[in-house]
Amino acid sequence: MATLVQVDDLRKEFGNVRALAGVSFNVEAGEWIAIMGPSGSGKTTLINILGGLDMPTAGQAVVDGVDVARLDEAGLTRFRAQKIGFVFQQFHLVPYLTALENVMLAQYFHSTTDEKEAQHALERVGLGDRVEHLPGALSGGEQQRVAVARALINHPKLILADEPTGNLDEANEETVIQLFQELHHEGHTILMVTHDPSIGNLADRRIEFAHGKLKHILTPAKLA
Amino acid sequence: MFWRLLWKLLRGSGGRLAVAILSLVSCAMVVSALLNLEFDIERKLTQEFRMLGANILVSPRNAQINGSSTAEVMSESEVAAAIAASKEPAVVAAASFLYVVANAGKTPVVVAGTKLEELSKLEPAWRIEGDWKSSHDLAASCLVGRNVARQLQLVVGSPLRLTYLNENAQFTVAGIVDAGGTEDNQVFVGLAEAQNLANLPGKISVAQLSVSGTSNSISRYAARLASALPAYEVRPIRQITEAEGDLLSRIRLLIVSMVILILVLTALCVLGTMAALAMERRQDVGLMKALGGSIGRIVTLFMAEVGVLGAAGGFVGAILGIELSRWMGQRVFGTAISSRWEIFPLTIVLMVAVALAGALPLRLLGKVKPAVIFRGE
Repeated sequence: MATLVQVDDLRKEFGNVRALAGVSFNVEAGEWIAIMGPSGSGKTTLINILGGLDMPTAGQAVVDGVDVARLDEAGLTRFRAQKIGFVFQQFHLVPYLTALENVMLAQYFHSTTDEKEAQHALERVGLGDRVEHLPGALSGGEQQRVAVARALINHPKLILADEPTGNLDEANEETVIQLFQELHHEGHTILMVTHDPSIGNLADRRIEFAHGKLKHILTPAKLA
Repeated sequence: MFWRLLWKLLRGSGGRLAVAILSLVSCAMVVSALLNLEFDIERKLTQEFRMLGANILVSPRNAQINGSSTAEVMSESEVAAAIAASKEPAVVAAASFLYVVANAGKTPVVVAGTKLEELSKLEPAWRIEGDWKSSHDLAASCLVGRNVARQLQLVVGSPLRLTYLNENAQFTVAGIVDAGGTEDNQVFVGLAEAQNLANLPGKISVAQLSVSGTSNSISRYAARLASALPAYEVRPIRQITEAEGDLLSRIRLLIVSMVILILVLTALCVLGTMAALAMERRQDVGLMKALGGSIGRIVTLFMAEVGVLGAAGGFVGAILGIELSRWMGQRVFGTAISSRWEIFPLTIVLMVAVALAGALPLRLLGKVKPAVIFRGE
């Protein structure tokens, strides 16, 4: 497998607060990585840097051959549109757009919109009958599935999921995790921040953070 | 997708945008009404000033125009031909006068011989007890000033016998004039009758013209008429023409100042609404940027939304404004202001500009950092 993500001595400071203190690891294409650790350990900061939402203070974060730290504003915009699919804990759907339009919004910023493809993406996550619903009319699990459809619509190289089940009840959590498992089996590369060890156990590897540092990388054998 | 998003943005922020569009419609209504008034004010003001009587005087050189001199006279046909030859600007009325000091019994009165039909056009503001029309119809009719009427105890229908040297003429009073000036001391008879009485056929003492146009165009007309009548003196009545020009300038300055003030106030109102909207939109913008939306594309979307608001506000406001200007014209000038089609595009352009100026806070959305927004800061 080819290396998709290379993180080398990555550092991020917010004033006097050190969020990441020299983190290094690689992710192979098609891997599902669970990123775990206590609150404030630097997990979301790592996801934000890899997704081009934040810039590192030092070090390298290379995704699909692109060093995020070297990109300017326009380059970061293109990078996010072409290579990354985000799934957030809070769903972050636009409230006045329908499920279909929320998915098409990602298409619009990527290139051109294709309503049929967007509809198919929603069918893919089991929401074929909810395309015209506004987020407010959808359950938490349905909203998160819309977010997953939106993350997938542009065929990103890397899916970054920041606690995607954090706001879901048990039934919806199961549906969403099953969806991620399917994506994994289809060959998508997933980096998922989670607090839930049972979800972490489903991943290929589990990277554990503490105080901005990489504490453990647990392989499947160790997980077992 | 752009238009779909635009429509959803407009619908999604209906409450906030309603405040902005209400401001824009109100502004557009007043601005278009004022602009319509401004475009038509010259014509209206000219009409109003024409109510004040003559603004050009033709008289013999060195004549004292006091309404009683017959020492110097002019050729009626020569003056009439020169006036008829000049077409622009429009001559509202041209009345020739022959003044004679005749006697009514033993009382001397100033008799002004003129074409009474032209006099009614020249002095539309005069208040007449009786009416103009009967004085037009009958050659032996006359109008008398109210002071003369009081002194000679005349009423409408009274007979009036005038004597000048050895000539006599009999008239019937068709109306009593209340002009509020020296005309109240005069008797107005037909020009031909006055010429017969004075034995000065084809002669006039003075010609008064009411000419529409600006102060400058009236002066230019007077100069042209003067060159056509080199033997006589032609001069604009400066108090009227200059007052007209001065009043026009002041009204225009007032209207333009008000329009600018209203535009600035509306921009500030829109600014306040958009600042609140920008705060609401930070989350959406953060998300759009995270999805790969460029600053230009996102800000263009919001600016287009504001532009649509401005155009819609301008269009609706312009229609209401035209109606408002008609009402204002009716109240101020007594007749409706003419609608000008140029007002529509001008008002819409102004409202779009005001809306975009007021949308300055939305441009700051380009600086939103998605990571900061998602952290909840």
